[in-house]
Amino acid sequence: MTKESKISFLFFAPAGIFMLIFLLFPVMLLIKDSFFQVDMISQDSGTFVGINNYIESIKSDRFLGATTNTLIYVVVAVSAELLLGLFFAMLLNTGFKGHGLVRTILLSPLMIAPLVSGLIWKFMLNSQFGIVNQLLYDFNITSSRHAIQWLSDDRTALLSTIIADIWLTTPFMMLVLLAGLQGIPVTLYESARIDGANKIKTFFYITLPSLLPVMVVAILIRTVDAARTFDIVWVLTQGGPANSSEVLSTYMYKTLTRYGEVGESSAMAVLFIILLLLLSSYFLISMFKANKK
Amino acid sequence: MESLSNTTQEKKSLFQLIRKYNKQFIGLITTILALLFISPYIYIIFTSIKPSSEAISNAPTFFPREFSIENYISMFNQMPFLSYFFNSFITAFISTALSVFLGALAAYGLARFSSKLGNVFLLITLCIRMIPMISIAIPMYIIINSMGLIDTHAALIITYTSINVPFAIWLMMGFFNNIPKEFDEAARIDGCNIFTSFLKVILPVSLPGLATTSIFCFMLAWNDFLFALLLTSTNAKTATVGISEFLTAYNLDLGPMTAAAVSFSLPVMIFSILVQRYIVSGMTLGSVKG
Repeated sequence: MTKESKISFLFFAPAGIFMLIFLLFPVMLLIKDSFFQVDMISQDSGTFVGINNYIESIKSDRFLGATTNTLIYVVVAVSAELLLGLFFAMLLNTGFKGHGLVRTILLSPLMIAPLVSGLIWKFMLNSQFGIVNQLLYDFNITSSRHAIQWLSDDRTALLSTIIADIWLTTPFMMLVLLAGLQGIPVTLYESARIDGANKIKTFFYITLPSLLPVMVVAILIRTVDAARTFDIVWVLTQGGPANSSEVLSTYMYKTLTRYGEVGESSAMAVLFIILLLLLSSYFLISMFKANKK
Repeated sequence: MESLSNTTQEKKSLFQLIRKYNKQFIGLITTILALLFISPYIYIIFTSIKPSSEAISNAPTFFPREFSIENYISMFNQMPFLSYFFNSFITAFISTALSVFLGALAAYGLARFSSKLGNVFLLITLCIRMIPMISIAIPMYIIINSMGLIDTHAALIITYTSINVPFAIWLMMGFFNNIPKEFDEAARIDGCNIFTSFLKVILPVSLPGLATTSIFCFMLAWNDFLFALLLTSTNAKTATVGISEFLTAYNLDLGPMTAAAVSFSLPVMIFSILVQRYIVSGMTLGSVKG
């Protein structure tokens, strides 16, 4: 046993040392910096300010606004992705002729960079020569070609970033839910049919409950990823106009690079991690328990 | 009597016809919806092969009216894109090799010799997934800066590897757990020690797992924007940062921007269709089985 664990340690050591230096140390540094007033240029260790950075961040309206926007972004994007993903997964699960090809088409954006998704929508939502406004005009929904200033109107800027996110990650949702659907035993459906359940009843009493574990994990993964969003928002709006689409990541980035506030941005990052961990601890614990079994 | 059985038969065949027709109808609708869904990407490809004046026309059309490679030429004229692509590729490639190497070793140790530590590790990996990239970026910037590595390939390679290693361990553990322990035992009876049995028996069997892990590690590095934006400026600038600069430095030069976005993502898209089997197995491993 001791020999075994020695060998195990030997195999683990290279990766372990690397993570210690370049993952654990940065996180420790982050936590340390959050209690200090750090000057980026002079590179000294800074002065200890206690929880002042935390108080400053929580008190600031921009932090609260960014938190609210992040929550809206997560809730709207993830619910839309879940519904769209489920819709496509159920259509594909009917197993029509050529469903494999359609699946491949739908999965093709899976590996596109968030940055590229941002660029695509930046181009399509452009108020002067974007095709979205053109189509709205062609279908008589709006009265002018430049009716909606998607990215420069504070009412639509956040929505635009959410649209780009939904487009990019619905394929992932669909993929996971389709795998879940295919894992439901056929016998369940057969017994439901024998019991005389119609399609709607079968969906609510068989499909949804059986799909729930997979759905929970997919929602967790997407919630965490959506909360961390940076690329899409940065490319589309940089958080503007007037901070109307500012999310936590972009606000932290600006606090760090534009204002050089290492202490305050570190404090916000720590708060952000705690928030996400709390949000997902329930999922994590249940997943951990299931894995132990 | 005869007529009765006839009508039931007719009813039955009609029902079957509707069912059959129904399935094809669903297929048709789904195909149309799927094409609509990826139309934004097709539109970008079409725009990139329009003449640049048409690309920023006031009345845009989906299909190009005229074909031109003007946007691609001006993309290369305005920026040293080949060197940006090279930077993206080299950092992604080296960091992938490093993370898969370190990850496979560690995962084998955890999967075979200590299930308790393995479980703890699973939890740590999930926690690391929770950490926003920007949070790691802040201290990483300070560390890289104090090492004097800002704007070098090494800065990005270190960063990508550190993010990818826990993920690689987690994925590889899943694959190693599926390989029966009898494999190692048989190899050791045949005279292999632990390391040679790992190299000669386990690794060759887990090639699909290595492929999946490599694809995900490579894509994370290739697609990264935040770290490249923060840690590089001229020498090690990657393609993502280069593309994003069309939006600022060149005053919304949208035609060449679409050309750059397509050059950057189309190879990835074709590649990901070719290796879809591995991507699907990697994405569903964590969420369906985990």
